[in-house]
Amino acid sequence: MTKTTDADIKKAAEMIRAAHDSGTPCAALHDFIAADDIAAGYAIQNVNTDHWLKQGRRLVGRKTGLTARAVQKQLGVGQPDFGMLYADMAYADGADVPLDRLMQPKIEGEIAFVLKSDLTQEQMTITDVMQAIDYAVAAIEIVDSRIADWDIKIMDTVADNASSGLYVLGTEPRALSELDLHLCGMVIEHQGEPVSTGAGAACLGNPLNATLWLAKTMVEVGRPLKAGDTILSGALGPMVAVPGPGVYELRISGLGSVRAAFV
Amino acid sequence: MTDLNAIAEFVDDASRYANAIPQLSESGKDLTLEQAYEVQRLSVQRRYDRGQVQVGVKMGFTSRAKMIQMGLDEMIWGRLTNTMLVEDGGEIDLKDFVHPRVEPEIAFLLNKPLEGLVSPAQAMLAVEAIAPALEIIDSRYENFKFNLPDVVADNTSTSAYVVGPWVKPDIDFTNLGMVMSFDGRPVQIGSSAAVLGHPLRALVGAARLVGEDGGRLEAGWTVMAGGATAAEALTSGLHVRLEAQNMGSVSFDVS
Repeated sequence: MTKTTDADIKKAAEMIRAAHDSGTPCAALHDFIAADDIAAGYAIQNVNTDHWLKQGRRLVGRKTGLTARAVQKQLGVGQPDFGMLYADMAYADGADVPLDRLMQPKIEGEIAFVLKSDLTQEQMTITDVMQAIDYAVAAIEIVDSRIADWDIKIMDTVADNASSGLYVLGTEPRALSELDLHLCGMVIEHQGEPVSTGAGAACLGNPLNATLWLAKTMVEVGRPLKAGDTILSGALGPMVAVPGPGVYELRISGLGSVRAAFV
Repeated sequence: MTDLNAIAEFVDDASRYANAIPQLSESGKDLTLEQAYEVQRLSVQRRYDRGQVQVGVKMGFTSRAKMIQMGLDEMIWGRLTNTMLVEDGGEIDLKDFVHPRVEPEIAFLLNKPLEGLVSPAQAMLAVEAIAPALEIIDSRYENFKFNLPDVVADNTSTSAYVVGPWVKPDIDFTNLGMVMSFDGRPVQIGSSAAVLGHPLRALVGAARLVGEDGGRLEAGWTVMAGGATAAEALTSGLHVRLEAQNMGSVSFDVS
């Protein structure tokens, strides 16, 4: 494949936006951009971030993706990725989540962190991250792909805002000192069956590790995390496809529960 | 006519001498599920005749994912004997096994008998303590392949188990994180919720299934609730450790 041009970036960004606006998925971007060109993926994401911010979408946080070893292996990468969270993506516990805003949704059980101070330091450490976290809550991340049939390579998912869709936050905020972030159990139940189980360690060993990576990376790219931001730190277990309407409940040991009601 | 005694000797020898055997169902020894449990009983009787005693039961196929994978809608159970228990921090020798795998579990210690249909509340009253545990499963069948009667006849692949610190069952154990590591690196990460949505359901099931077989769970017995994650193959030199949320850890080495 030839070198990625500015025209390719622009075209790909428009394809993603058109899919986002119309609800009809687009063809894989790796048809014309190298599948492993992560830099191109972020360039495409960035074009759309600028576009959406200019349009007035409110940036309220970030997500880290690809935080499980198995998923990284699947996509042939050794690091996580990130995407933007906008205010229109956030839903309250138990609220109806309209399926017509989604194309091919899947859900993951995660820990969300909310910041009380900016994370703008150069040479950031885990201490800075722990200092900046106000509280943690349970979160259902609803991932989605604007690429037809989830036919994604690493470049596609990065370009597509890290395959983010919507998210639902729990309402039992906890301080870090009350949690066992390494061993906390996670279960998603649907119709009384556990459909996904895991624990904190599944997210890069500890969700704070993913958050440190994110905070450092956001400083590097010039969009540092700010006080009040919500961070979806990454899945604690396998993702689950949502084939139609129904209620999914996430419980994280020590962090309470949260429900997504797809309609 | 099927000679269940001969089959029991066949599977017991395979387990005793760590020899892989062909699947019964692939070698003209097709058993019903009922016959398979009878073979299990007869083969474990041979262990008792050698001086071993029963110290509990283990449950299998207690995750819905595993049941669906196997095309089943019922769990299975096997018998634990005193010689299967490996000390916490102890060592197992690969040559005593055919192709062992390990999975993280929760163990129950009973303080009174449980028999037949019991409510979760009755089951809970019989629980003296719970512990993180590692079960070493080892199908005696070639390539770890079997159908349902095969695995039941083979004492549901039971071979050894390690139990960590017992804790009072007054903690919420419905959703405890479990991290199983090899040489310090996580290889399986899950939650006790994977066991039927609540591990206590495995104990209720154990009382029912053992009751249907004409027996009961005894005071002092250990009941292994079934794997909380997929099993991992064991190789020589590994240090295996399970950490369970609010319950401590349990480990063993493989030589």
